[in-house]
Amino acid sequence: MKSTTFLSTTSLASFMAAGLIAGSANVALAKDPVVADPDAKVEYSGTLSILTKFGLQQLSPFFVDAAKEYEKLHPGVKVELIQESDDSVKGKTKALVASNSLPDIYFSWTGSWGENFVRGNRAVDLSKVIGPDTAWGKQLAGAAVSAFQYNGKLYGIPLYLDAKFMGYSKPLFEKAGVSEPKTFDELLTACAALRKSGVTPISFGNKEGWPAVHYAGQLLSYNVPQATLEKDFTPATADYSDPGYVLSLTQFKQLIDECSDGSGTNGSSYASALQQFSNAKSAMYYQEIIEFDQSTADGALKRDDFGYFKLPAPKDAKGDVKSIEGAPEGYMINAASKNIPLAIDFMKFVTSADNGKVLSAPPYGQPSATVGGYSADTMNPAVVGGLKVIADSSYLMPWLDTANPPRVAAAWLSGLQALIGGSQTPEQVMEQVKKAAASSK
Amino acid sequence: MTVVKHDYKGEAAAIGFTLQRKAGNDQTSPLSGLLSFRWVLVAFVLILWFVYYPIIDNFIVSTKNQDIFTGETAFVGLDNYRRLQSDPIVWTAILNNTLYAVISIVFQVFGAFVLAALIEGLDNERWRRFWRAVYFIPSAISITVTGLLFYFIYQPDIGLLDSFLTQIGLGNWSRAWLGEEHTAIYAIIAMSQWQGFGYSTLLFGIAIQKIPRELYDAAIMDGAGTWRRLWNITMPLTREMTGLMVIVTITGAFQVFNEVMVMTAGGPNNSSQVLGTWLYQQGFIENDFGYGAAVATVIFVITLLTGFAQLWYTRKRRVHL
Repeated sequence: MKSTTFLSTTSLASFMAAGLIAGSANVALAKDPVVADPDAKVEYSGTLSILTKFGLQQLSPFFVDAAKEYEKLHPGVKVELIQESDDSVKGKTKALVASNSLPDIYFSWTGSWGENFVRGNRAVDLSKVIGPDTAWGKQLAGAAVSAFQYNGKLYGIPLYLDAKFMGYSKPLFEKAGVSEPKTFDELLTACAALRKSGVTPISFGNKEGWPAVHYAGQLLSYNVPQATLEKDFTPATADYSDPGYVLSLTQFKQLIDECSDGSGTNGSSYASALQQFSNAKSAMYYQEIIEFDQSTADGALKRDDFGYFKLPAPKDAKGDVKSIEGAPEGYMINAASKNIPLAIDFMKFVTSADNGKVLSAPPYGQPSATVGGYSADTMNPAVVGGLKVIADSSYLMPWLDTANPPRVAAAWLSGLQALIGGSQTPEQVMEQVKKAAASSK
Repeated sequence: MTVVKHDYKGEAAAIGFTLQRKAGNDQTSPLSGLLSFRWVLVAFVLILWFVYYPIIDNFIVSTKNQDIFTGETAFVGLDNYRRLQSDPIVWTAILNNTLYAVISIVFQVFGAFVLAALIEGLDNERWRRFWRAVYFIPSAISITVTGLLFYFIYQPDIGLLDSFLTQIGLGNWSRAWLGEEHTAIYAIIAMSQWQGFGYSTLLFGIAIQKIPRELYDAAIMDGAGTWRRLWNITMPLTREMTGLMVIVTITGAFQVFNEVMVMTAGGPNNSSQVLGTWLYQQGFIENDFGYGAAVATVIFVITLLTGFAQLWYTRKRRVHL
């Protein structure tokens, strides 16, 4: 190989990729807000593109089947799916935003994640078609629709409800002689008994960083007053000085050390931990309600042996002990879409009661946000029970990593890994978060 | 054997790329030069568009703060470069990239050279082929697949490595290799050596095969032993390949991305971040494309300097028989 050729092919071309990535961020300025017109005529022709978060093998058929059904009903329409996983959808979405290539319909979390699209006028204002007084709005759970409310307007179409629960194996609890813990201290006592019986009390994998954020989020909602949390989620007013933060992290560290594999958990993935629980190698696994069916899908843990409870609150907690961490997840319509009425029509179809029942039942197990979109007869009883707990909760604590600005979220993610690994104290983690919050103002 | 200055004109003529010249005139006419240029025009335009334009554009992006959602941009000059200096993760990343380069040079250059010499020194061709294949197979596996494979090998307690250590009575050495801040990057680098070692060995093997056997026969007749032959014949005559491998290894070490992303995503607590993953984190996680572009510029400067070093080295030390 000639040396000159080498120079041009490695030094320059190798950097090309990085240049293209950064170079692609030359985005156009956002245009005026786009408002959905309830009287717009739907043209059943053309292609509709959708970015979903159902890339996992067991979830992907839902949108594939819905698209096929819709195409059958409207032969002039072709639906193109881009299906990503929970982790990959974050990077994919930003790459599509940066290159102005967002599809007609795209997945969104609530909180600051969804707010980004609204701020950039990239989401259609759906208030006139999904508001509480509209036919579509009446079909959907009001609280789920309003979770996508920004500046008094509605931008999201909730597809399913989600919240975090501690799933447990009834036989392993029985073997260790423990019952469902009602307080945080009882949970720690149960862990000791379970460990004595020869199982890992809680399987926990934190390679991704966000699993720790979920524990911390629930503990924060118990220890920090709701008003303070919401003030701190807003960049302009955030100061993260409430003592409940350090207390929550101290409790979290204690829980990880006493109930899981401690610092080693940073080297395991969330999915590996789920597998460990499914295979009855651990007694508990902190999981989302949308994962209940996966826990008992094909492992040693059977559906009847699966139990669940809300992470118990510590005694004398200063926050809201009736709160639960979770949020609906849904979709937004691209403001730059050439076929907004068709996109809305497709989502009305996806959120119909019939499709809701399919989504809520195994193998998907995603509790539909559609009123009447689930039937207890076809659903996992644990999912039905979990939905009741969500309905009875006083406050839905948003996921910390989507409620906060990206820099603050990154500080939480790396800080909690450091806390688990023992390289930082709770106070040091909070200093890191405060610093990130200050630089995000 | 002599060390000579390289004759590019002679080499170009040998492969038939000299310009047409008028009879009796050593000067190239402007017209023929222009006609020759048309052959490279398409490639030139493509390189301008896909290589040089992104490089320039990347630098422009690095002088701005952009909100990808609103499209708003603010010119910040060299602020993102000043921020680089005080960003402790950038220094962690540079250190990790440097570690990657140093360890890779030890294993994938010097280790691979010794192994190639041993394999090529075998008398039996069948055995030579066998060992070449054995060491090359890991290189044929995708780096992402290898990353996932080693993720399972490094799994705390249930992974192959920890199980093996327990089996041989070294259970107290077992740990969460990817989950501890002081071991994560070394675990990734070790995987990378396993993957890349065979490829380097193969390249050194080819370089060694090109050395005329007569030189070794003459050395044997002069009474030179194995180490003498390795030191006085094999090493000087594979110097060009060694130089190339060092540069390729350093450049590759500063562009590493996939294996880190798959195995740790830069964690825990950013301890295994490399420049490539930090660039990704800034751009695609923290929405800070301007700062991400500044990190990209650092990668560019390092790989460019390495490329120049390679140019200088190979021109200076090329050996001809």
